[in-house]
Amino acid sequence: MTLDHSRIEELMAIDALGGLDGDDVALLERERAAHGDCEECRALESGFAETAGRLGFALTPAPVDDSMIDWILAQPQDRRGDGARVDLDRPHDQLAERRARRTRGWQVLIAAAAVVALVIVALVALRPSRTGSTEASSSQRVVTFTGDAEGTLAMAFTPGEPGAVIWGRDLPDPGPGNVYEIWMIEGDEAVSGGCVAPSDGAVALRVEADIDTTDTMAVTEEPADCPSAPTSAPILSADLTALV
Amino acid sequence: MADLPEAPDRDLIDRLRHGDEEAFRGLFHRYAPTAKALAQRVVRRSHLAEEIVQDAFMAVWKNPGAYDADRGSVRSWLMGLVHHRAVDLVRREEAHRRRSEAAIPEALEEQADHADEIVDRLGAPEERRAVRSALDELPAEQREVLEMMYFAGLSQSQIAEKTGTPLGTVKSRTLLGMRRMRGALAEVER
Repeated sequence: MTLDHSRIEELMAIDALGGLDGDDVALLERERAAHGDCEECRALESGFAETAGRLGFALTPAPVDDSMIDWILAQPQDRRGDGARVDLDRPHDQLAERRARRTRGWQVLIAAAAVVALVIVALVALRPSRTGSTEASSSQRVVTFTGDAEGTLAMAFTPGEPGAVIWGRDLPDPGPGNVYEIWMIEGDEAVSGGCVAPSDGAVALRVEADIDTTDTMAVTEEPADCPSAPTSAPILSADLTALV
Repeated sequence: MADLPEAPDRDLIDRLRHGDEEAFRGLFHRYAPTAKALAQRVVRRSHLAEEIVQDAFMAVWKNPGAYDADRGSVRSWLMGLVHHRAVDLVRREEAHRRRSEAAIPEALEEQADHADEIVDRLGAPEERRAVRSALDELPAEQREVLEMMYFAGLSQSQIAEKTGTPLGTVKSRTLLGMRRMRGALAEVER
């Protein structure tokens, strides 16, 4: 279902203030995806973000310890420029990155949709079992998740290239107010790849991440506010160590 | 550097991308005091606010490329980094929420203290007056929702429950308030 702009405008206004919760979080994500690369949506979102940011200037500034500056400058800059991987002990950085990824996500979902279609074709053609992996083409890999959950979840990616597309069907409802959260795990570090709410058991999303450095992909059921660290055990996972 | 006080924010971000430490100092002095005030308003604890500011500016230093000029101004981006972190923190701490309940009715009045002349030197006095004026001109029920959501870190559902207002009304008041604020602040920019 696609809402008109008046509805998505309301959701974006609340989201800009950090007040969105419950089912509306997933609803906004779905609407962003449905609206795609929509100029009006971008204008609404950037306009509300700008307005929300300026609200802070209503407050009387507070003195800040300047020694903080030297401490920060002593830290190396991230020359990769992607900021995608953040340590688990810095949950706030993860939150910011997740939000940035979420806002980027709806802009690239149109492109991702085309890839998803290819994945679906590949999945149907290859009819993978519920476990294991296969080579969808000379360069693309498709891996299926395994675990206790019903349904099928698969991921397509190209080794050496960033990003992956995850697609699933016949998945169980994660429960009222819950979503599925995708995790990239390397060693003992888990980085969120975003949250998604299934629609009639189906999910499709693009994950912006360096899959080459990921050992395991995992899926957990999480509250709709998409926490920056897992709060439950994985219900599905996929071992990538033998693939990349 | 003599040009720093007047250097547009986006120039400072560009220089940050090349590791310019003076540009970082300029950005920090320009916005950290307001960022600290915002974090402190949301989390209600000075030491946590300081950590949030440090964390946000650390993110700016480490990855200035995360700023996207198409998505708005540097100042709003910075405040967004701080606000997201602050709200994330309070949502994790139910105990804080109870403390903030008592503070909500105070809204912004407590900030309008006698130190305004002094703190003007800390940054953005004109911007502060403009935003306060725009907030003051909002209908009271819209202002209340915006302040509870942004400055107290409450979600739409929490506001509905706390005020006994239907959730749909909270949403519509938020939208109307944000539309008015956006229009008023855009007018100031012209």
